Parts: sequence; C-alpha cells; structure tokens
Amino acid sequence: MKRYLRISVFAILILALVVTFAIAGCKTGTATAKGTTAKTMKAADVTIGYSVWTMEFTFFQNLEKGVKDACKAFGFKYSMLDQKSDATQMVQDMNTLVNQKVSGIVSTPVDPGAMAPAVQKARDAGIPVVCADIGKSGPVNALIISNNFNGGQLAAEFLAKLYPDKSTTFGLGNLKPQWTYARQRGEGFKAKCDELGYTVKSEIIVQNPSAEGGYDTMQQIMSAASDIKGAFFTSGREAVGAANYIKSQNGEQKVVGYNGDPEEFNAIKDGILAATVLQQPYVIGYKAVETLKEILVDGKSYENVEIPAEVKLVTPENLEQVAKEIMDSTGNSAYGAPATTTTTK
Amino acid sequence: MDDIKVGLTPKQRAGNLLGSFGLIAILLIIFGFFSLLIPKLYFTWPNLRDMIRFSSYVGIGAIGMTFCIMTGNFDISVGSMLALAGVLGASVALKAGGIFGVIITMAAATLLGVINGLFVTKLKIPAFITTLGMYFIFRALAYIYTNNNPQYIQDRFWIFLGNGSFLGIPLPIYIMALCYVIAYLMLRKAPFGRYILAIGTNSRAAALSGINVDNIKILVFTLIGVFVGVSAVLNGSMLGAANPGMMGDGYEFQVITAVVLGGTALTGGSGSLGGTLIAAMVIVFLKTGMSNAQVNSYWQQVATGLVLIVAVSLNKLKFWLIGQTQ
Repeated sequence: MKRYLRISVFAILILALVVTFAIAGCKTGTATAKGTTAKTMKAADVTIGYSVWTMEFTFFQNLEKGVKDACKAFGFKYSMLDQKSDATQMVQDMNTLVNQKVSGIVSTPVDPGAMAPAVQKARDAGIPVVCADIGKSGPVNALIISNNFNGGQLAAEFLAKLYPDKSTTFGLGNLKPQWTYARQRGEGFKAKCDELGYTVKSEIIVQNPSAEGGYDTMQQIMSAASDIKGAFFTSGREAVGAANYIKSQNGEQKVVGYNGDPEEFNAIKDGILAATVLQQPYVIGYKAVETLKEILVDGKSYENVEIPAEVKLVTPENLEQVAKEIMDSTGNSAYGAPATTTTTK
Repeated sequence: MDDIKVGLTPKQRAGNLLGSFGLIAILLIIFGFFSLLIPKLYFTWPNLRDMIRFSSYVGIGAIGMTFCIMTGNFDISVGSMLALAGVLGASVALKAGGIFGVIITMAAATLLGVINGLFVTKLKIPAFITTLGMYFIFRALAYIYTNNNPQYIQDRFWIFLGNGSFLGIPLPIYIMALCYVIAYLMLRKAPFGRYILAIGTNSRAAALSGINVDNIKILVFTLIGVFVGVSAVLNGSMLGAANPGMMGDGYEFQVITAVVLGGTALTGGSGSLGGTLIAAMVIVFLKTGMSNAQVNSYWQQVATGLVLIVAVSLNKLKFWLIGQTQ
C-alpha cells in the first residue's frame, strides 16, 4: 500500500512539474534564439529603429518612406539614423539603436559584410534585426530583398520578344563579385537566355559604378562583340550610361536597365533606354517592418529568412502608369519631373 | 610664478584661457545641448560610452597626423593605408589566426608609413604629392590583393579587441588612452617632440642646428603608419570585416579635420595632442547628437562645417589675443 502511495506521490510530483513547465512555456511562448523572442509586445510599446545607407538617393528615400509608413500603419514609434554611406557609421548607428533600447531594427547596410558584430550585439540585447535590401551578415532574423534572379529573367524575356531569332546575341554589364545578391540579376539573365536558346556573347563587370562606368563598359562590350542586338545592365545609372553610348554611336542595340531610378524613367521616355526592371524599395521597407511586427507583436519566429520582393518590367507602354503608382505610394515627385538623384546600386 | 602672473595682461589671460578650454567648452556645449534636447537618447552612459569608443577610430589615427602636420606636412594616404593594412591582416587572420592578423595589420601599416617617409625624404617628392599617389596605389593594391572581395574577420581575439570591455569600459577606449599617453610622452618629454616642432617652425634652421630632418620626417611618417595600424585593427574588429573599397573611405578627411579642429596649425610648428583628442570627440558627439535628434543629413554637414569654422576661429582669436601684447 505504501509502495502505491509513494508511486502516486512521485507521479503527482512529475505531473505537477510537467504542468508547471507547460504553463511557463505558454506564458513565455516558444522563444528560440535571442532576439527572436516570442514574448509579444503591444503595438503602442514598439519602437522601430531604422538605419539607412544614405538619404541622398531616391531609392533609399522611397525605402525609408516604406519603413515609416508601415510604422505609422501598425502604430509603432519610429527613429531613423543615416549611415551616410560610411561602414563605420553603420556600426555606430546600430550600437546607438541598441543603446536606445528600440524594439526592433531595420537596416539597409552600406557594407553588409561588416555588420555581423553589430547584429550580434543587437541580438544579444534581445533586439530582432531585419535587413531591408542590399544583403546581410551575422544572425539577422530576415532579409527582404528584390527577387533579383527573376528580374534578370524578365530582362532576358523582354529582349527575346524583341528579337525572336534565336541566333541573336546579347551583352551583359554586370556588378562586381562582392554584390552577392545583386549579382543574381545577371545570373537570372544568363539562365533565361540559355533556357530560351540565346547566347550572352560578352559579359563585362562595370568597374566604375556610375553612368560614365556604364558608358565605358558598353564601349568594351561592343568592342568584344559588335554583333550583339541588346544588352542588360544590372544597375540603373550604368544602364543609362550604356544606352547613351549606343545613342552616341547611332546604334540599334536595345539596353535594359535595373532599378527603376528616375533618370531611367526619363531615358525610357526619351527613347534612349528600352526598358528597366523596377525594384520596389517602398514595398521592401514596408515588408521589413511587417516582418518585425510578426516577430514582436504576433510572436512569430524568424531566423535568417530571405523574403523576396517582387520586381516588374517597365517599358514605354506602362511607364506612365508605373510612375503614377510610385508617386502615389511614396509622394516622390522625382518620377514626375526630370531626375536629379539616383541610387548607388 | 608671481612674476609670470604680473606679466600677463587681461587679453593674454583671455587668450590662454581660450586656448586651454575653448574646445572643451565646445564639447561640453554640444553634450549639454543634446542632453537637454533628447535626454533619454543622448544623456545615457551606454551612449556616452559608445561615443567615446567610436571616437577612437579617428582619434588614434589623428595622433600620427598631428605629428605630421606639426612638421608642416600632410599624409592623405591614411584611408587607403588603413584599407590595405586591414585586408592584409584580415586575410592572414583567416589562415593563421587573429594574433597574426593583428601583427600583420600593424606591420603592414608601419611599413607603408616608412615607404611614404622614404619617398618624401630620399626622393624629395613633396609629401602632398607622394601621399596623393599612395592614396591611389594603396587602395588599388587592396582591391588587387583581395580581388575586390571583403575579408571577413571572425577570429574571437580580434573581434574582442574592438568590441570587448574591461570594468564596463570598452577596450578601444583603453587603447586610445594608451596611445595618447605614449604620444604625449614622445611629444613633451622626449627630444623628438622638440625636433618636430623645430622642423615645423623652420626646417632649414632645424637642419642647421644639427637635427637630422630626414630621419625625423621618416619617423613621423612611420608613426602615422603605426597609429593607422592600431585604427585598422580596431576598425576591422568593430566591422567584423575588411572591405577593400569601403574600409577607411574618407578617413583622411576625418583625421585631418580632427587635427585642424584640435588647433594644430596647418603651417606647422605648433599643435596639441589634447586638442586632437577632444576634436575627435567633438566630431562624434556632434554627429551622434544630430543623428539622434533626426536632423536631416544635409544640415548635419552644414553644422559640422560651422563647428569647424568656429573652432578654428577661436584658435585664431587666441593667437590674436596673445599676439596683441607681444
């Protein structure tokens, strides 16, 4: 009888322990790593800190608008710091946001490879970090980035439609190897060309990321493969520079860009650039905060997740409509007037 | 002592006061202003600690530049030097560990400083031209060596140097303090300090009085390399990477700004290490305050420029006040 009593008491104790842990588990949620806490917060208590590459360029202005609008929509407080295109400032900003005890950090890093220690510090402080575009390093929760591979495919499909003859060859002005994510644009372009039976005859890396750099690179591509019918440049300014080279030579080749900068829009309007693949920085910024909301408010867990943002092809046919959509969402008048600024990508 | 007091006119006293405390007053005004404006964000120990920590990036590199400008020379290759030394050290660290990486970074920067010094003294190429050339060469070598790929620093020792702390104070602050103590002793307690001031005042007269001007100049450029090496180690640690294109980008301007803001005369012959240190802090305190206060980045540049002009004007005013009675 005593034996049964001992077994019963032991079983009750075990059960009590299990119930206690279960209740505790329910209370604290299913937290995994630091900074991915499932302990939820009220929206009114959430402050989002945003560290932006620079506010000098339209692309990042629109991205910041997306972050700000999302914070407003979700009822979060918002604080922004400008890295001013300086990697050391980027790390300092991240530390500042950790010191400010913000609830979550969105970062558009000027040098994604150099953010790992700062991200680790934020995560150690229990602050989730989401990167909005460019890239990531360290234990970030998520990276919201354009579907660059798909963007490259769209450019190839566009050129393929213009030139149904499969013997047509194309050129590619690509980014430097360090831009891991942005380089996927070129990979997508090559893969789609291959799939459709076209050849990328000349691929040259743009050494000087500017319109001048694009102009020079197009010249080199034409020297290497004068019979190409079109070229894809994986960044905006460079594409406009490349298209201007073709124009200066009275060439027939069609150039497709990538980014959707205001001057690309103007170049399409003027018939210099054939098309561009539009990134949606506003959507990227908005999605970054949405992801933080899911982590902080809804208790969802994210760990090193990549979330693609859709891209779309802009041609002379849909140019006006797309420009209107951008202006409606961002209020950025650069798309309705001659461009004065551009992005660095 | 009394005789000296009697000899000072009110203008001279005001001039001396301005020289001693002008920049400190600017620093306190900036700190006080932002502490009142955004107390919860700015007037906190973690923020203060990090502002001083990040001052070390410019503050340490500015030590060598202070010596250099005191001799009436410039070195505008420091940013590229930092990048080249950083990528060399980081690549070694990947294979041989962080301690070797740190040693290589320091050694490489020192060697690059020696090369600059030899070009300036032995080939008689003006420092501005030499270091302008090296500005391009060092950066290009960093690109070539790495094939334009960032070198990641994951070694725990190296990462600890820039991010660790002792007794609640970050290690870079101790390292910066140590660098300034050593530099102060060299400048004020060793003949070296007198020599560089003499060279900056009148290089020819210094040579005639028996100072080996070339050797001192080589030593000055070498010291720039040594301190840039320390900065490269700390910067690499804080970033966790050495990027050949981005590391040290614009560093030369930040360093020269700190030295000039600190009261070192561009013409050489006078200067202050304390002024350089406080100036490095002024730049970071101001930038952090404005960023936290959500000041537009263009206005931040305007404000930084204004502070530079005000500080240099105060320095001029100091000399005018002292000079009036001389």
